[in-house]
Amino acid sequence: MNNSILFAAESSNAALWTFLIYMLAVFSLAAFSNKLLQGKNFLSEYFLGSRGLGVWAFALTFAATSASGGSFTGFPSKIYTHGWVLGLWIGSYIVVPICAMGLLGKRINQVARISSAITVPDILRDRFRSVSFGLIAVSLIVFFMSFNLVAQFKSGSLILKTLVLDVTVFQNASTTVSGWIGGVSFFEGVDAGYLICLLTFGVAVIIYTTYGGFHAVVWTDVMQGIVMVIGVLIMLPLALMLVAKDAPEGTGALQHATEQMVHMVPPEKGTATIQRGAEGDSSVVIRQGDWLTISAESTRLFRVTKEKEISASSASVAEVPVLEIMTPRDIQRVLNDETASIRSDLKIDVESLAMTAYMFGGEEDRNGNGKLDPGEDRNQNGELDHPQKGLYVTGPGPDPNQMNGFLPLSLAFSFFFMWAISGAGQPSSMVRLMAFKDTMTLRRSIFTVAIYYSMIYFPLVIIFCCARILLPGMENEPDRIMPAMAVFLTENVGLGWLAGLLVAAPFAAVMSTVDSFLLMISSSLVRDIYQRNIDPKVKEKTIKMLSYVFTLIVGVGAMLGAVNPPQFLQDIIVYTGSGLAAAFLGPMVFALYWPRSNASGSIGGMLAGFGAHLSMYCGGIVANGSFFQPYRLFNFDPIIVGLVTSFTATYVVTLLTEPPPADLVKKYFYKSQES
Amino acid sequence: MSSSSLPDREQYDPTFVHSRREAIVIFCSWVVALIWAVPYCYLNGYNVTDPENIKTVFGIPAWLFWGIAAPWIAANLFTTWFCFAYMKDDDLGENPDEPVEIEDSQEEADKQESDQ
Repeated sequence: MNNSILFAAESSNAALWTFLIYMLAVFSLAAFSNKLLQGKNFLSEYFLGSRGLGVWAFALTFAATSASGGSFTGFPSKIYTHGWVLGLWIGSYIVVPICAMGLLGKRINQVARISSAITVPDILRDRFRSVSFGLIAVSLIVFFMSFNLVAQFKSGSLILKTLVLDVTVFQNASTTVSGWIGGVSFFEGVDAGYLICLLTFGVAVIIYTTYGGFHAVVWTDVMQGIVMVIGVLIMLPLALMLVAKDAPEGTGALQHATEQMVHMVPPEKGTATIQRGAEGDSSVVIRQGDWLTISAESTRLFRVTKEKEISASSASVAEVPVLEIMTPRDIQRVLNDETASIRSDLKIDVESLAMTAYMFGGEEDRNGNGKLDPGEDRNQNGELDHPQKGLYVTGPGPDPNQMNGFLPLSLAFSFFFMWAISGAGQPSSMVRLMAFKDTMTLRRSIFTVAIYYSMIYFPLVIIFCCARILLPGMENEPDRIMPAMAVFLTENVGLGWLAGLLVAAPFAAVMSTVDSFLLMISSSLVRDIYQRNIDPKVKEKTIKMLSYVFTLIVGVGAMLGAVNPPQFLQDIIVYTGSGLAAAFLGPMVFALYWPRSNASGSIGGMLAGFGAHLSMYCGGIVANGSFFQPYRLFNFDPIIVGLVTSFTATYVVTLLTEPPPADLVKKYFYKSQES
Repeated sequence: MSSSSLPDREQYDPTFVHSRREAIVIFCSWVVALIWAVPYCYLNGYNVTDPENIKTVFGIPAWLFWGIAAPWIAANLFTTWFCFAYMKDDDLGENPDEPVEIEDSQEEADKQESDQ
C-alpha cells in the first residue's frame, strides 16, 4: 500500500469522529440562532442578522464565505501542479481585504439602512425606484447562484467522501446503497459512496441553514474560519520540518525545497499496456496510485491514474492511463520508500507506451505528430535529452494544456482584477457588508481579515511547494493533495488523529459558502419576488413559513441537481463568480457614489456586463470548442471584458438619459433635513 | 435633476463624502499594488536565463519575495494605517429594525415605472 492509503486507513476513525463533533457544533449553533429569531423582525433577522454583526462575526463570515472550497482543494492542487508562480497568481490578496470590504462597505451599509434594504436587489430597486431593476437583479442572482450551488454541493460531497473513504461503516453503506440504486435510471452511473456523502452533506447544510437563518450561517462561518486557519498553521511547520530532514547541513528547509524544485521536470501522461509479470489464471487488479517500473540503465517510473483489471483469461490489459515521473530525485525517493506500492508482479510493454508531455515545460514533439513517440524525448540511455530547468520556480509555470504556460503576463494582470475587484462585486459579499453594526466594526474587520488572509494564502503556497518534494507523483489526482498531505504530515509526526481536523478545513470552507448562497437565493425569492411584487401586505407568519419552505426547496433542488452534476466543477464556479461581478459591480459603484446615476444607465450597465461576459464564453464554443474555454480578447480573462463594458455602458447610458429625480438624490446623497 | 433644485455640494452627507474619498484611496492602493507586483515579478521571475542559480530570500525565489511577499507585509501596514488612522467613524443612520413600510415604496416604484 502506498503512504497515503496506509495512513488514511489508520486515521479514518479520527476523521469520522472529527466530522461528527463538528456537525454537532453546527447544529447547536443553528438551534441557538433560531431562538434569536423570536421577538425580532423576522425577515431582517433571518436574512441579515438585524444588521448587528460585531468584529469577529463580520470578519470571519466575510473571510470564510469568500474562501470557498477552492481555497483548500483547487488552490493546493494548482500550487502542486505549477509551483511557486502561484504566489503571483494569488498576489492581489495583499489588497483583497481592503478592496473587497472597504471599496463599498461603509456606503452600502448606509444606503441599505436608508432604504431599509435586506437584499442586494432591494438596494438597487429602492435606490432607483425601479421595480424592473429589482427583478432583473433577482433573475441574475438566482441564475448564477443556482448553478454555483450545484457545483458547490458536488465539491462538498467529494471532500466528505475523501474524509470517510476508509471508514468501514461507510464502505458497508456504499455497498448496500449500490444494490438499491442499481437499475434505477436516475442514478445510472452515480457512485453510491458519492450519493451517500451528497445526502449527508446536503441534508446537514439545508437543515441548519433553514432552521437557523443568517445568524446560524454567520456563527458556523466563524467556527469554520477558525478551523481553516488552525489547519494551515499546523501544516506549515510540519511540512517544513519534514523537508528539512533531507536538507544538507546549513541549508534551510525552504531553501532546500526551492533548490529541489529547480531540477524538477513535469511528468508525462499517457497510456500503456500492462502485462502479468508471471504466469497465472486469476484476475489481477491494478489500483489507482500503484507504481510500475521499467528497468533500463536508469529506472523509469510510472504511476497508474485509473483502476484497471487484467481478467482471468487475459495476459495483459491495454490502454491503462499512467503518469511517468521524469525527475530523477523523485524517482529515487519513491524507489527508496518502503511503503510505496511498487508492483513487481506487473510489467509495462515498452512498445505500447503513448505518452504526452506538458504543452509548456515538457519535451518537444520533434516529429510534429501531436504526441511524444517512444524514444523521441530520450537519449540512448533512456534519459531525457534536454530537460528544462527551473520551471517550478519561475514564471509562467509549467502547464499540460496551455502553450504559453500557466500564468502568462496577460493572465497575471487578469487575476489581479479577478480576486481584488471582482471580489468586491459579489452579491454574497455585499449582503455581508449590509450586516455590520457600525463603522468601527468595519475598520477593525478589514484589519482582521487582512491578517487572516496573510496567515492562510502565502503559507498555503509554501506548504504545497513542500508537497512537491514530499509526495511525488500526485499529479495523478491533484485534487486529493490537501487530504493526502494532511494525512502524510500528521502520521509522520505521530499525530494521526490531527488529520481529521486538517481535512475538516476544506469541508468547512465549502459549507460556509454553500449556506450563504442558499440563503441568498431564498431571500431573493421571498423578499424580492413574493413580498415586494406579489403580496406586499403579507403577514409575518406567512413570511416565516415561506422563508423556511423556499430555503428547503432551493436546497433540495440543488442537491438533486448534484446527483448527476455537470462535469466542469471549477469552471462553473469561475464562470458564475466572474459573471456576477461583471453584472453587479459597475451599477452598484455608480449607485453608491455618483448622484447623477439613474435606473436606465444602471440597468444598461448590468445587462451589458452580463452580455459581454457571456459572449466571451459563447465565443469559446466557436474558438475553442467548449463553453468553459472562453475566448480571451487580447488574451485577457472575460472578467476584464465584462467589467470594462459594464462600467462604460453605465456611464454612457446614464449621460444619454434623463437625470434622476431631485428628491431621490437628496434622500441618498444629502444631509437629512433633521440633521 | 436640475442643479438648481439640489442644495450645494457642501450639503452632501458626510458619510457619503468620507466613504467616496476612502474608496478612491483604496482603489489607488490596488493600482499601486498592481503596478508593482505584476511587472516586478514578470521582469525578474520570467525568462530567467540561469534558473539553476536563482536567487532566494528565506528560501523563497527572490522575484516572488520582493514582488509579493514583502509587498504583502507593506500592504498589511498600509491597511493598518488606513483602518486605524485614516478611515473615519461615520454615522450609518438608524437601524430600520421596525417592519418595513413596503406599501409606500411599492407605490413609489409603481409610479416611477408608469412615468418611464
